[in-house]
Amino acid sequence: MQRMACSFPDEVLEHVFSFVQCDNDRNAISTVCKSWYKIERWSRRRVFVGNCYAISPDMVIRRFPDVRSIELKGKPHFADFNLVPDGWGGYVAPWISAMAAAYPWLEEIRLKRMVITDENLELISKSFKNFKVLVLSSCEGFSTDGLAAIAANCRSYLHCRNLRELDLRESEVEDLSGHWLKHFPDDYTSLVSLNIACLGCEVSFSALERLVGRCPNLRTLRLNRAVPLDKLANLLRRAPQLVELGTGAYSSELRPDVFSNLSGAFSGCKELKSLSGFWDVVPGYLPAVYPICCRLTTLNLSYATIQSPDLIKLVGQCQNLQRLWVLDYIEDAGLDAVAASCKDLRELRVFPSDPYGPEPNVPLTEQGLVSISEGCSKLQSVLYFCRQMSNAALMTIARNRPNMTRFRLCIIEPGTPDYLTLQPLDVGFGAIVEHCKDLQRLSLSGLLTDLVFEYIGTYAKKLEMLSVAFAGESDLGLHHVLSGCEKLRKLEIRDCPFGDKALLANAAKLETMRSLWMSSCSVTFGACKLLGQKMPRLNVEVIDERGTPDSRPESCPIDKLYIYRTVAGSRFDMPGFVWTIDEDSAMRLS
Amino acid sequence: MELQLGLALPSNPSKGFDLNYFASEPKEIAVSNRSFTVASSCTDINDINDNNKKRSFDQTFENPTDSTVPRTLPLLLWNHHPNEEDDPKDLENHSLVTFNDKKDGDNGDGLVGWPPIRSRWKNKRLCHENNGAVGLENGFACGIRGSNSTYVKVKMEGVPIARKIDLSLHHSFQTLTETLMDMFGQWWLETGQKDSNQYKLAYQDREGDWLFTEDVSWRTFSRSVQRIKLLKSSR
Repeated sequence: MQRMACSFPDEVLEHVFSFVQCDNDRNAISTVCKSWYKIERWSRRRVFVGNCYAISPDMVIRRFPDVRSIELKGKPHFADFNLVPDGWGGYVAPWISAMAAAYPWLEEIRLKRMVITDENLELISKSFKNFKVLVLSSCEGFSTDGLAAIAANCRSYLHCRNLRELDLRESEVEDLSGHWLKHFPDDYTSLVSLNIACLGCEVSFSALERLVGRCPNLRTLRLNRAVPLDKLANLLRRAPQLVELGTGAYSSELRPDVFSNLSGAFSGCKELKSLSGFWDVVPGYLPAVYPICCRLTTLNLSYATIQSPDLIKLVGQCQNLQRLWVLDYIEDAGLDAVAASCKDLRELRVFPSDPYGPEPNVPLTEQGLVSISEGCSKLQSVLYFCRQMSNAALMTIARNRPNMTRFRLCIIEPGTPDYLTLQPLDVGFGAIVEHCKDLQRLSLSGLLTDLVFEYIGTYAKKLEMLSVAFAGESDLGLHHVLSGCEKLRKLEIRDCPFGDKALLANAAKLETMRSLWMSSCSVTFGACKLLGQKMPRLNVEVIDERGTPDSRPESCPIDKLYIYRTVAGSRFDMPGFVWTIDEDSAMRLS
Repeated sequence: MELQLGLALPSNPSKGFDLNYFASEPKEIAVSNRSFTVASSCTDINDINDNNKKRSFDQTFENPTDSTVPRTLPLLLWNHHPNEEDDPKDLENHSLVTFNDKKDGDNGDGLVGWPPIRSRWKNKRLCHENNGAVGLENGFACGIRGSNSTYVKVKMEGVPIARKIDLSLHHSFQTLTETLMDMFGQWWLETGQKDSNQYKLAYQDREGDWLFTEDVSWRTFSRSVQRIKLLKSSR
């Protein structure tokens, strides 16, 4: 055995390993023997850290000395809905400083839900000799000054640095000025992808035009709302090779010359496959995109407040559409049309146009989703906001689409029962998990008892992420999920009557998951302390803005709980409203 | 595509192997009222392989259901009747949260973070509605309820009349201050004080506390501001 292990020189093994890119597989390789572990760790180029507090930067660097691409995630998912107070954490600074020293050849940084400052951005722009890709997804803490630093240092003569991708998707950026774009040097031509859709301010349009014009490899351009429609044609003519485009505001006075200019520009983009943007749509300008509809695979109309007939005319021409994001203005009728025309549809997201109104404002019901499930045989991923649902519809959808992998249903009013029978929606969701054997992600809504969780625990064996709100009756529900869902990685719960018992009874399960979020449930501080003391590899964070939990009885429910596994111990950057309990049973404050 | 920390029992042995070392580990963990031994130090994962031997196939891909280790490690033994007083199937006794109680403290109108749509996304559409750039046909009202209104009252010290400002149109203190200057401009002309440095911007947050904007980030401010005041700077 020993001889065999040594008979391949390291270079050969490394070459073989280079064909294995999937992280799970590389992890498996590294456990074979010491020499494989060593070779693998030196040759691992890409690291994904799903929770930035699960491990410290130094540990990653020590294990993988030559990383070129890193992806980090910070805040829990519910931060998107304002459930995580400001200042909770997710600071990327320690990672950037550590990597600036250890990974001079780092090329790609991808962050999600993290806090990044202008100083961090400046450090990034100067530290990495071959920096290529910066993706900031749902991040915050920086301003356009930080972007200016990235732009100014995007190209380096000393090194081979040439920025390729700058993607700010859905980040919150303090808009100090649009001039940051001017900092891209005149001889910088290697931009491949630029996404500034989240920026509020006007960027310097002439700088943008020149930038677009001199970058022949530009394939993704997502503009912000401030870019007016009458400038779009010029941009498109400078970048006919674009594959993905996000328009700015799609409104202007209806003028034939502007229209024909725009239409011509779109026709010139033979590679265009993805469209988004469409703020403030004036329907009269929609036909400008008709010439390219047949090539579209992705269409994001989630900002387009246009009515069903216009939507139908547009989407009806997109026979190759795979991904559609749209407002509920599309109505059931529109979804019928989608089901008839878009036979290749893989992903559908329908967003609410009036989420806070008490009454339905559009005729969009469960029927639309049923039609899609009947007509689109490749449908795998659904996010659907509506106001009524029935068990019958869910069962139909489940039987129609057993290939579904992501099913997120949001019935807008919490606790809404089956509108036909007034029963809970347990059996409907039960059918989903029973038929869709490869379901990885599920979000529940409507009136639900513990029974739905029994179904989930029994059938959802491949489920990795579950979101629960206003559901269940007792700890039994939570127990079913924790004890039954073998592949569960992320569980997020709000406003459910789950308390201590299921949590404590399944404590070990928590170490097999990335994280658990529970807010407005019935977990007591006493249980949190117990968990924190007994489970050293979990960080049990109690988030409570009402002041120290010790000032209330131990049986008083805590506000928010975030539990995640970690090898890095308690973190040091907790704000005053986060409490954690160490195994030495002393309560730690920040 | 995860760096598995391998703190777990392998949940699906045929698919992949967690980074850590399992065969002996689970047996070290005791049940319920005994203390827990922390399995071999996780902090230095470079020392993962202490022995030089390769693992045997069986050892590596041991089916967890065959092992004697309980799949759940209770800190509390589950007795299947967690709520003795409740019949779990009896809906009337269920402890479903009464949703009306869980309202956002400051306006009592909506639940925080529900429906689960991103707030920035909401703000973008609200911006559109406030601008009125494109009228929605058929009179579809996009109701802007209390919890999502972006207008806040602004009062300037010494000025009897308060104004309202639409925060969703602003993304930084600079633009906000400029707009406020314009709004209250006529008062400055009258009082002869045009210098914006003479005034400090203060705001009341969700908890009712008054804070100076110079101490906080825009984001913190915009998320929690309820009211704004322009105070004469005493220095």
